[in-house]
Amino acid sequence: MRKGKVAISLVAAAILTSTLLSGCSADSSQQGVTTVTMLQYKPEAVKAFEKIEKLFNDTHDDIQLKIESPNEAMTVLKTRLIREDYPDIVGIGGDMNYSNFLDADLFEDISDIEIIDTINPAYSKMEKELELIPKEGVYALPYAANAAGILYNKDMFEQNGWVIPETWSEFISLCDKIKASGTNPLYLGYKDTWTCLAPWNALAVGLAPSDVCSNVNAGKTTFAAEYPEVAEKIKVLLDYAEPNPYAYSYNDACTAFARGQSAMYPIGSYAVPQILSVNPDMNIDSFTFPANENEEDNVLNSGIDLHFSVMKNTKNKEAVYEVLRFLFKDETVQIYLDEQGGIPCKQGDFELSKFLNGMEKYIREGRMSDYQDHHYPSEMSVDAMIQTYLMDKSDNAAELFLERFDKEWVRYNRDLIARVQKYEEEHK
Amino acid sequence: MKSKKVLSRRMTFILMLAPALILFIVFNTIPLITGTMYSFTNYKGYGSFEFVGLRNYIDLFSDTRVWNSYLFTFKYAIVGTLLVNVISLVLAMGLNSKIKMKNTLRGVYFLPNVLGGLVVGYIFSFIFTYIIPAVGSALNIGFLENSILASEEYAWIGVLVVGVWQSVAMNTIIYISGLQTIPGDIYEAGMIDGVTPWQKFRHLTLPMLMPFVTTNLVLSTKNMLMVFDQIMALTKGGPAQSTESISYLIYKNGMDGGQFGFQSANAVMFFVVIVAISIFQMVITNKKEEQL
Repeated sequence: MRKGKVAISLVAAAILTSTLLSGCSADSSQQGVTTVTMLQYKPEAVKAFEKIEKLFNDTHDDIQLKIESPNEAMTVLKTRLIREDYPDIVGIGGDMNYSNFLDADLFEDISDIEIIDTINPAYSKMEKELELIPKEGVYALPYAANAAGILYNKDMFEQNGWVIPETWSEFISLCDKIKASGTNPLYLGYKDTWTCLAPWNALAVGLAPSDVCSNVNAGKTTFAAEYPEVAEKIKVLLDYAEPNPYAYSYNDACTAFARGQSAMYPIGSYAVPQILSVNPDMNIDSFTFPANENEEDNVLNSGIDLHFSVMKNTKNKEAVYEVLRFLFKDETVQIYLDEQGGIPCKQGDFELSKFLNGMEKYIREGRMSDYQDHHYPSEMSVDAMIQTYLMDKSDNAAELFLERFDKEWVRYNRDLIARVQKYEEEHK
Repeated sequence: MKSKKVLSRRMTFILMLAPALILFIVFNTIPLITGTMYSFTNYKGYGSFEFVGLRNYIDLFSDTRVWNSYLFTFKYAIVGTLLVNVISLVLAMGLNSKIKMKNTLRGVYFLPNVLGGLVVGYIFSFIFTYIIPAVGSALNIGFLENSILASEEYAWIGVLVVGVWQSVAMNTIIYISGLQTIPGDIYEAGMIDGVTPWQKFRHLTLPMLMPFVTTNLVLSTKNMLMVFDQIMALTKGGPAQSTESISYLIYKNGMDGGQFGFQSANAVMFFVVIVAISIFQMVITNKKEEQL
């Protein structure tokens, strides 16, 4: 009994002293050293960033870089914003969250950093389009992107002599051929409504202009005018998928594709790790969704997965710029790509992941456009609306859906539309 | 001397009450008040916001998605409460009679309440998606071949099955304890008068059990109205938004989407509705209670 107590108190003492010591070592900052803190939102990229952090600190005596990669980083970031405890740099995705943060005036204008000239212009354009109200200046440096289109089973294609389609009719005849051979051409996981957005986005970038949302906000067009072809084509896909796709989730669809139950899977490059976890030896490649009858009209659906912004209140702008320059060095970018895969937003000869082979041409030529749902307010639940439309078997389903799209858009974006139209008035 | 004793006695009661009261105020009353405050703003959950007056409340009435979520929730709660109470009353009578392995059986029937809602949801999700359709196609039963969760019309029944299966456990326990409070001499008197089993149930058991029926009705209605876990695990509000409950919508759009203000208004409305229903149920069923 007595012995046990002693042991427990010893352990407790050890824990206490160790935390005290580590507390000390973390706090002791040397004279003349500036600390730059960065918060990045991809917990799966923590390894890459640990490497980058170490490399930076080894080569810089006067600046200490601290990179935090918490789980649920968006929530952490939002709480830190409320407490006014700002990091110097944030690494987040190019989505509605960023647009809202930017709109709340949280970021510093960094248009005077020379890295901007090395960025792939397609991604700089995407950054501009993420601004809810057009702003002067540059507020984010795109770092890495992902792409969505069709993933296909390379071995299956080679065995059967199937050819990668480049136009919509080629795609449909390929699907017919695969179906006739007794395999499912596609597998869809529409039980998870967000997966409805993958083919939707991939089709929409090819068939509708990339600034459709801001044009609707400005009152220049309607979704009923821009989206009918997207709506029509996404419904055609159902004929080539497993029966009743609303019963299967994203996980189910990844597993089915990995086990060879379908030849293709319309989803983004982000699904590759999940598929490989089921079947590590699978030979996966991808191609751009052939949404048009003309190959030249096709556009790759690619969005910014990670970009860096500088917080408005940073005290060490010089040190922060040094960190950014380091992050955008070719070697650093390659470290990130090797660990994480994805597409670099910087121009240059980087080694791309082999799963993106079929999309490489589009990436090199900059024929890319952002996920349209990055501009949809998440509370509008466009994904669920698409699912509702796909399940609706009536003749005027498409009209009803687009009518509802326009109506709900106005309702959910009321405050924003009022501001955009005011801005348009002022800048005529 | 005497007054001091009274005072210290009172102090003891206050001290006993204080921790619970403080916790209740901090975690219940204050959030309720701040939530009500936010319901008059266009707050997104962060950043700046403006007061928009009653706009959120007016929007509530014109929002079809909110209406549908109320329709779904009430349909679910009414059918669910009836099923739960009928099934658990039957189970309780069975488990209270003289049978073998009574205690083991009681334990088994209580098990669903111990398991977490999400765990149960995921298990049932697997059953609905893979096992039942496999059985259906093996036996050529048409309506079983497709997952019920993928059907816009019937997905709510899938959610209901899981919800009822889980809440029956707690209500059964309450009914069992209720049945044990009924004194045996009433039944003896009944036997001398020669009652049929139905008369025994209708005129002796049920009136004596009425206080417990009240409790169970209020509890299970409230639980059913707040349905959330099962939806999260089974359907995520789908297919085609047909199983979005009020709680799920508030969470989804208030926390995940940027509708903190609007969904706060929805939450306030929902609070008022639940209070009204609870009071209504208490008044109605209280009248039917018998006192010995």
